[in-house]
Amino acid sequence: MGEVKRMFKVADEVPPVSKTMSQEMINLFEKSGGKTGPSQFTDEATARETLGTKGTVASGRMSLTFASEMLRRYFGADLYNRNGIVDLRFLRPVRPGDTITMSGKVTAVTRLANGGRVTVEVTGTNQKGDTTAIGTGGCIVPSLSLPPEE
Amino acid sequence: MAHVEGEDKRKLLDWDALEVGEMFDTFSYVLTQQMIDDFRKGVQDPEAAFPTISGKVDTVQYHVRYRDSGSVNARCCFQFYNPPVAGKRITVQSWIADKYARRGKNYICTEAVSVDEDGRLLDRVITHELKQPSEVGKKWEK
Repeated sequence: MGEVKRMFKVADEVPPVSKTMSQEMINLFEKSGGKTGPSQFTDEATARETLGTKGTVASGRMSLTFASEMLRRYFGADLYNRNGIVDLRFLRPVRPGDTITMSGKVTAVTRLANGGRVTVEVTGTNQKGDTTAIGTGGCIVPSLSLPPEE
Repeated sequence: MAHVEGEDKRKLLDWDALEVGEMFDTFSYVLTQQMIDDFRKGVQDPEAAFPTISGKVDTVQYHVRYRDSGSVNARCCFQFYNPPVAGKRITVQSWIADKYARRGKNYICTEAVSVDEDGRLLDRVITHELKQPSEVGKKWEK
């Protein structure tokens, strides 16, 4: 794994990530997953019929991706892309035009056989301050990246 | 969402009869550079390493077997093991991991693991889907 670049400890704030949503972003996300037909994400009529909403909404997996970007930047890609996790509950819709900010705070460090699990409380909020998603994320990091044991 | 020409021969979902542990046929696809590029543009992150998130691969085979009135993603969990590589064939095994009712609404939990043609474990996804999507839409529009 090489040189240890950073330390992780409880109460650390994770630098946030913000995204302003557009229908084009949503369309590209759906297309990348092989979805080409109309859906509640890409077509207003389908959204009205399926969800009863006035317009399209973004897949919760887009918020999940934004949270994973925040966590990857915090832990580093070499760690997070091989030992990372993100787990979100979606509370409110994210629509084109919304600005979503993912933020996080380290809430626990647990010693494991292969290092330590750093747990981050994750929150997604929109431009109105409404919570759109909550959950946790984390990563298994080398023991040398953790505070010394008491 | 699976597209079926002509008569829809899929089973109508019977939530009560659905069995936790039910396995689906494996699903396989080749991840292209175009898919990766579209994903990265869509999430505005040129370093995004897991375009597999947008594939919703854990529910692909569910939709091949069942039809229902749609769904809303209530919760999703991803575990990352190895970034997928463009041009590699990816095989997905999915199953019904759980189901539960909460506040009168029915949820299905699917789980899937993706492995590439070299045997590298890529990721694991667990998704909780609410199977009465219009109920959520009504709440959202209040």
